[in-house]
Amino acid sequence: MILGYELPGTGFRDPVRSLVTAAGAAEAGGVDYLVLDDRPAARPAGTGAPWSMVTAALLAAKTTRVGLVTNAAIAYCEPYHLARTVASLDHISHGRSGWQVISEPDPAADANHRREGVDPAVDRDARAAEFIPLVQDLWDTWEDGAFIHDKATGRFIDPARIHTLTSEGQVFKVRGPLNVVRPPQGHPVVFAPAADRQLAPAADVLTVGDPESAATARQAAGSRPVVAVVSPFVAETEAYAHELHARAGAPASDATRGVVVGDELQVAERLAGWIERGLVDGFTLRFPPSVPLETFTDLVLPRLRADERLRNEFAAADTLRGRFGLSRPANRIVERSAAAGTTRG
Amino acid sequence: MPTERTLHLGLMFWATGTHAAGWRHPEAQADAAYDIALIQEVSAEAERAKLDFVFLGDRLACDPSLQHSNPAQISRLEPYTTATAIAAATTHIGIVVTANPTYSDPYSIARHLASLDLVSEGRAAWNLVTGADAAAALNFSRDAHWDTGKRYEWAEECLQVVRALWDGAAELEGQEPLPIGHRGPFFSVDGPLDVARPPQGHVVLFNAGTSDQARELAARASDIVFAGPQATFADRKAYYADIRARAARYGRADQVKVLPGLTPIVAPTTEEAVALHDRLNDLYVLDPEQEVGELIRKGGIGEGYRRNLSSASQAFGVDVRGHDLAAEVPADTLAQVSEEGARRLAEITRLTRRTANGPQRITYGDLVHATPTQLSHVVVGNPEEVADMIQEWCEDGAADGFNIYPAYVPGSVTAFTELVVPVLQHRGLFRKEYAGRTLREQLGLPVPPSARAESEG
Repeated sequence: MILGYELPGTGFRDPVRSLVTAAGAAEAGGVDYLVLDDRPAARPAGTGAPWSMVTAALLAAKTTRVGLVTNAAIAYCEPYHLARTVASLDHISHGRSGWQVISEPDPAADANHRREGVDPAVDRDARAAEFIPLVQDLWDTWEDGAFIHDKATGRFIDPARIHTLTSEGQVFKVRGPLNVVRPPQGHPVVFAPAADRQLAPAADVLTVGDPESAATARQAAGSRPVVAVVSPFVAETEAYAHELHARAGAPASDATRGVVVGDELQVAERLAGWIERGLVDGFTLRFPPSVPLETFTDLVLPRLRADERLRNEFAAADTLRGRFGLSRPANRIVERSAAAGTTRG
Repeated sequence: MPTERTLHLGLMFWATGTHAAGWRHPEAQADAAYDIALIQEVSAEAERAKLDFVFLGDRLACDPSLQHSNPAQISRLEPYTTATAIAAATTHIGIVVTANPTYSDPYSIARHLASLDLVSEGRAAWNLVTGADAAAALNFSRDAHWDTGKRYEWAEECLQVVRALWDGAAELEGQEPLPIGHRGPFFSVDGPLDVARPPQGHVVLFNAGTSDQARELAARASDIVFAGPQATFADRKAYYADIRARAARYGRADQVKVLPGLTPIVAPTTEEAVALHDRLNDLYVLDPEQEVGELIRKGGIGEGYRRNLSSASQAFGVDVRGHDLAAEVPADTLAQVSEEGARRLAEITRLTRRTANGPQRITYGDLVHATPTQLSHVVVGNPEEVADMIQEWCEDGAADGFNIYPAYVPGSVTAFTELVVPVLQHRGLFRKEYAGRTLREQLGLPVPPSARAESEG
């Protein structure tokens, strides 16, 4: 079982210290990755956390093992910026970075980002179809080993192993090369909803809501890992957990998330059951405001970690890809030019 | 120079060093661009020396052909993430990120900078560039590169929106942020900002440039003007006076500081400093002789001649082709150089102490290396000599301090912090302790009032 915590994007009194404390506790508890929420619009629940990329860089400095997955909405950024920022995080964190692609419509965020020639509400589908493959291609514009920095000969780079992109999309025209060398993971881990037809084909890890209806997604995922987004209403007693659930309006599992309610034993068993039935490979835990993540860390995590059957067989890997059992990808630009029988350069 | 006598000193962080062959020096770390621990350590060293800020430049394109002329401009870690890593490893030093409104939008810039100011607890600064570099347009789905007028009009409105978002942001937990409802020629932005108001109110603003638009932006809105190289001392004084005069028209005469770039080649003795300067120049990879004449040094940083004897012949107006670079140039050859060549010879003498007919003679290599335009003013000398130059510029109305360009990293950083900073401190020109925790405090700038304070005012 692979486990991630989604750190809340809002509701903190002191976001910086809270995020660092929560990340440290999650890492100490053996959580595999953190998801850093991000929304470029004000929320009703008070001031938001810093930009996910800044938070990730901060947490990279304050942790050593946990994966750092940044949420980023493709409507409000350019592929070149996104590719270089996530690649830089991968260098800074030594191979721990991931990117969760957000593409749902968000009128409040749209209203913050209109400018001459750009309306984020337009072209959503076309952007979504092109964005991930373009970012992955930009990560491959530098071959491994293109950064030579050989003092003796004065060769700093090998221009023959640095490439521009030759195809143009319907929405994006990006020539490259990227201004960052290839990330340690080759491609930082890309998360996208299994149900999103535009995004899912290019993602490394697929996300689902209610695990009970994950069978179709599982099949479509092939060998790729599937994680369910789950909100745990957990408390020391079953009765109190149900009370918290009721107070939150008794949300049910749906296409966006699964919901579990109970004491620590019940929640642990429910999660374990989904893994054992082969529906999903792990969970991104999205904590309800009434359930501090410390509660889960203290009550549920030790039970999950003690169960041999739930062990993440890749827990010792030192990159985020490794923790998901994903190999380091070959360079697609090199592969394409080899397939086309062209010489490189 | 204002009455307050503290100089302001920043560290321009170029991972390769600002000398194009600096990364090849034995005391340089050649892969520094991707070693975040080293970047943090260099920043911490600058902080121990009480420098005002670390400066992270940027370029939104990658051109491999720059590898011998400008390797630092080929690739780098992205500035915000790097700045955050620096913030996590330091406590007082300011951190300047370069962000280009031409390829971004004001809401993103406002929240990114506010985020950096929050995690650094008030140490962020924004170097506003508009991108003189046409190559970036091709990475951002643009058909054409915008001209200077359009870029500055866009940047000015962007800055206005960014500051309005900061001014309306919540200052305390639970406070309702204020929407801005901006409708301008270029932008339509509702707001409010999702993150808290930056601890500095407005993140400190830097800009550079010699165009009329750049100078006006500096005068009206900037806190620090970071000046490029200028040919003569008179030019530098004129630039400084012009920025002051323009700022005075906005009631900001003492609020804008001018910090030129400066590359100090410093060693305990003059002889060692000159030897170091020679050593660095020996590490250059020369341009092929058949490539002659002017080269646009891409990356938005100046232009100049190529680095070979054919180009030197053009620059000095005398044929010096086909000679061994280590050989001395006959005095009668040097006597025939053009007027421009004579200015360059004086510059060679200033840097190398070699002359046409003194005990140490100018070499062909000296001519080659004096041919391309320098990135910044260079001073070669012992710690007292370097401090003298710094003091002179600040006392004679050419600078309020400097952005220090280390020739190689980390060696040139420690040479400056260990050898020159103590001399400046001893002379009472530079702080021994930080004035506070935020960059505004180091610069003596107040926190601008928020929109809420203004309306309640």
